[in-house]
Amino acid sequence: MTDVTLYHWEPNANSGKPMLALMEKGVPFASHYIDMLQFDQHKPEYLAINPQGTIPAMTHGSRVLTESTAIMEYVNAAFPGPDLMPADAQDRWRVRWWMKFMDQWLGPSFSMIGWSVFVGPRVRERDPEELAAAIERIPLPERRRAWKKAINGDFSAEEMAESRRRVALGVAKLEEELGKRDYVGSNQYSLADINIFNSTYSLPLTQPDLASKEKTPGIMRWLKRVYEREAVGKTWAMGKTDMAARYSLVMEGII
Amino acid sequence: MGPILYHGEPNGASLTVLAALAESGLDIPCQPIDMLRGARHRLPGVAEPLALDLGIEGEGPVLVIAGEAMSESVFLAQYLDELAGGCGLQPDDPYAHWEMLMWCRQITERLSPAAALLGNLVHSQAAIAAIPADDFSALTDLIVSDDLRARWQALHQGAVDPAQVADSEAKVDQAAQRCEDKLADGREFLMGAFSIADLVTYSWLAGMELIRPEAFAGRPLTRAWLARVAARPCVVSASALANCAEPLRSWAPGPEINRWG
Repeated sequence: MTDVTLYHWEPNANSGKPMLALMEKGVPFASHYIDMLQFDQHKPEYLAINPQGTIPAMTHGSRVLTESTAIMEYVNAAFPGPDLMPADAQDRWRVRWWMKFMDQWLGPSFSMIGWSVFVGPRVRERDPEELAAAIERIPLPERRRAWKKAINGDFSAEEMAESRRRVALGVAKLEEELGKRDYVGSNQYSLADINIFNSTYSLPLTQPDLASKEKTPGIMRWLKRVYEREAVGKTWAMGKTDMAARYSLVMEGII
Repeated sequence: MGPILYHGEPNGASLTVLAALAESGLDIPCQPIDMLRGARHRLPGVAEPLALDLGIEGEGPVLVIAGEAMSESVFLAQYLDELAGGCGLQPDDPYAHWEMLMWCRQITERLSPAAALLGNLVHSQAAIAAIPADDFSALTDLIVSDDLRARWQALHQGAVDPAQVADSEAKVDQAAQRCEDKLADGREFLMGAFSIADLVTYSWLAGMELIRPEAFAGRPLTRAWLARVAARPCVVSASALANCAEPLRSWAPGPEINRWG
């Protein structure tokens, strides 16, 4: 019996972060799969848990926690198990800096590309009236605007070019970082690795022009090292789509 | 070369870090720099510039330690608190700490870009626009981040997006209301005990009283809280480092407005 429940989508991006943090800490949790492509996150039963309609969310006893990076910090502090933050204060600052860089600067560009090529086309297959109703149920105006853009394919050429520029720059900076330290922000596996792995493991498949054994050997070695962790295997096994299987093949191919 | 904190006038991100440093009691030398002359992009002794070059916060303070440039005011405040062995700026309880982080993220993602936009338009745009073209070009050539450079250029060109202004005003109003709601149970500070949440919120909101007074009308709890934070010894100490008469009117290009709208 556990008093932790995680509401999540695939073990990917934001949902993957607390899933992997809980696995690394060895915290048992009840998994509640929210199908983002079916707009489960905007249905009344989920809004009763998280009125903002964002995923993931976690309950611990009577407490409800939201925002994936902040949930990870809570998980690390609240439960026993390996410490996923370094002890040195400057390393801790660097771990936080990288997580913000991903969450607020690089991540939105990954999302814009991902929504444009994957989420938008997938949900556009559905009945337009049903889609319109689903969008109207989205509580946060910003998220409503974002979903409308994704569904309608409204990202401008300039926006997409800027997102691609940021992804290329971010990947280059990550490669530089992994040339300085064993892991992102420090020499120990930390929340920054969990955060950034969840948004970059797909790069060798989706952006081979940016990330490959030849171009970014540091990133590829790091991806492989993180992928081989037992907690990643357990987390990826919780996916309901073929995503984990497809990317496992990529990871297995990294020397 | 020992640690050194380069900072702008005590407002916005610089105020948060200067006050956190005062609260920590740590002995780290401070060096004021003129953000509007691009001094942040000419710092000496920086061997690891990533956080300076690609910081999210724009022209915020930079702590240089062993050649590494450290940025982002909330994380610098956390760093100073932790380096001091815990000076009380962060709750020990994990849930209370999560609440503080969530609050700070709301402020840095929503209020600070809005406040920076309004603050720069009202107080700094004319000064930036007056920089001669050649000097401005030399200044912006130093800026590594394309998007930060674009924010400087928009101010130099006098570009104003009425929709962004309206959205920013709404976000300032919302931040003030969030404070009012939080303080409604009679608590003294936002998280109960004084914390980084008070510092970061005060640092971005206090200057808005001069620009958008209507955000504070009918919100007496927020105004009283602003006065309490202003009177905290660490804030008094940080504000005393001002090199101008009214530091709350001092702004430099800040965080970017959310690209998703």
